[in-house]
Amino acid sequence: MGSPCEVLIESDDEVLSKKLIDVVATEAWRIEDKFSRYIPGNIIGRINSGDGQPIEVDEETANLIDFSFSLHKMSAGAFDITSGVLREAWSFDGSDNVPSNTRVNDILARVGWEKIGWQSPCIHLPQGMQIDLGGIGKEYAVDRATAIVLKLTNQPCLINFGGDIRASQTSVDQRGWQVGIESLQNDQTTQRVIRLQQGGLATSGDSHRFLFKNGIRYGHVLSPKTGWPIPDAPRSVTVAADTCTQAGMFATLAMLRGAEAEAFLEQESVQYWCYR
Amino acid sequence: MGLAAADAAVTNNNDCGMTGKKPNTTAAALASATCALLGGISAEPVQAQEEKDWSFDTALLYYGESDSRVQDISLNVLAIRSFIDDRILSLSLGVDTLTGATPIGAAPFNGPQTFTSPSGAQVSTRSANEIPLDDTFLDTRVALAATWQQPLGRLNTVSAGVSISDEYDYLHLGANFKISWDFNKRNTTVSLGLAFANDEFDPVGGAPTPLTPMLDVGDVSNRNGDQSKNIVDLVLGVSQVINRNLLVQLNYSFSNADGYLNDPYKILSVVDSITGDPVARVPTPGIQGPSHEYLFESRPGERTKHSLFGQAKVYMNGRILDASYRYMTDDWDIDSHTIDLRYRWPLGDTRFIEPHVRFYTQTEADFYRTSIIGGTAFPTNASADYRLGNFDAITIGFKYGWKTEAGNQWNTRLEFYSADGSVPGNLLVGNQAGQEMYPDLDAIIFQLGYRFGK
Repeated sequence: MGSPCEVLIESDDEVLSKKLIDVVATEAWRIEDKFSRYIPGNIIGRINSGDGQPIEVDEETANLIDFSFSLHKMSAGAFDITSGVLREAWSFDGSDNVPSNTRVNDILARVGWEKIGWQSPCIHLPQGMQIDLGGIGKEYAVDRATAIVLKLTNQPCLINFGGDIRASQTSVDQRGWQVGIESLQNDQTTQRVIRLQQGGLATSGDSHRFLFKNGIRYGHVLSPKTGWPIPDAPRSVTVAADTCTQAGMFATLAMLRGAEAEAFLEQESVQYWCYR
Repeated sequence: MGLAAADAAVTNNNDCGMTGKKPNTTAAALASATCALLGGISAEPVQAQEEKDWSFDTALLYYGESDSRVQDISLNVLAIRSFIDDRILSLSLGVDTLTGATPIGAAPFNGPQTFTSPSGAQVSTRSANEIPLDDTFLDTRVALAATWQQPLGRLNTVSAGVSISDEYDYLHLGANFKISWDFNKRNTTVSLGLAFANDEFDPVGGAPTPLTPMLDVGDVSNRNGDQSKNIVDLVLGVSQVINRNLLVQLNYSFSNADGYLNDPYKILSVVDSITGDPVARVPTPGIQGPSHEYLFESRPGERTKHSLFGQAKVYMNGRILDASYRYMTDDWDIDSHTIDLRYRWPLGDTRFIEPHVRFYTQTEADFYRTSIIGGTAFPTNASADYRLGNFDAITIGFKYGWKTEAGNQWNTRLEFYSADGSVPGNLLVGNQAGQEMYPDLDAIIFQLGYRFGK
């Protein structure tokens, strides 16, 4: 998952606790192995190296692709799992290394969901294009792990994969979990504390992934339409929703709205914390 | 483990259409798509709140007794600062202004009575057949308290606090500690609380020597300096979650007060053993003074109370019934019973109404009497303070609250209090039987509260 993962369990039962950690870790590794773009030979690797040939995918992969297609529609094209190749031009390392227009436009020719052939269970990527489910994977893994935990226990659990969180169910005393939203200053302090009894909580944004040139801050959320960072995107959006997937997708969709992020979240009656 | 992979193959044949979101919104589309992605398992609704750094609970309270007796206006502010890991700092401020008249303990009879004021500087005269009141009562009280609470390990919570309150003739200093243990999957909490207080009394005109006479204006020969008392309180409590709809609490409290427990402004009439009328007295010529013989009250130097408190909170489809009972007994022979019932009734999502009724009854202290019979040996302790007498009281009213769009809460409370006392027949002497000896009390309570956070 590229980040620390944890399971918090409110229980005195050591055997149960170890078992829960075990099943959650197993599920996390399974999803990582299956969908990470860094692991060659998995389904994503096979799709991306298909050399223009259609690839048949399993049902779970098909569900994830269907889901990302839904998001593409919901966001009027702003969410696009083919935009990962733009990373060839953009490396958000805090430097002033902003790519040229020409370079961005060259890559943009290989971006766009509409260029893909998708007829479940077959996906057909034109040569040079890639898909990346990294924008969904962690949230999906959290919710999958939660579903497994819920089958094994009704003890309150919190699953946290690098800041994408789901609380399995409320504790008897309704106290819930205290979750801190990290300060934008990266000083290990908290900006805000959320008490989560049940449901998902996810954050989009990373104050350390940006470029800075001529007084302009380039945030790391790229538009698949322009190939450039979304202007006026918030630095951090945290959303609470029924599931971690919904929370994470809302945070991402809000980021993609740029200056309109808050207005969008308000309109959707979402519980959110937005920092600029 | 093959479990996870097998689960992944669950087909999406469940109904993901009913998401509870407004149709045609991104929220509805996303809920439906997520439900399909996660194998048709729809999630319980999210429950999350922002932890306020600060929350403030403010209240303005008016308490007014009928017949121009005590009127109290108080402003209370409770500020709570929440830190991560359930560490909480609470700060409270209370300011009270008291005015009005209060019964001084002298027995009414069919003639006027003149009293030296508490300061010893002047006299005042009360009409025949009325319960004598002191109307020089005026005070402002400022109270401050701070409490720090934090978890100790996974299942314990500790708190420690200090309090100070100051009024014209009174200074209170207190410290308190509490520890609670959660166990039985947090369904049971046992707590132990300890509180210590030291109160200093510096009465107007000095503290009178108990059972000495009220003297002429300017005579302070029976007045003394500051007095103090120490109070130790201990509370042992158990709260138990019976099920999701029922929470019960049981407390035992012990309280010991040691030191000056008199009310320096309370007196008793010295009366004739046959007529029950106060014994007349003649002030020193040329000096004003009391018209009759009165003695300053005397209470024991120690008081130990034990009380048992039981409470049940019942949740019934959003409505909450809060019922409690308290039994208190002390070594002054006062026994009391209190029943308190509240029923919180939501009116839509943002408003509620909460009717409240409270019944109280107590027996009189063993040294309570209406007067002291002249010419006999004085009892060791005696007080005619109506608060130590036998009385029943009822409080009835309601609270109404509403939430603003920003999530802040207003509430108002309106209550009527009525106390009705009776003096046991064996304490009445002669004509006292024909007088209203117990000062019954009616009061109105109005509160406006506002709770907000940031």
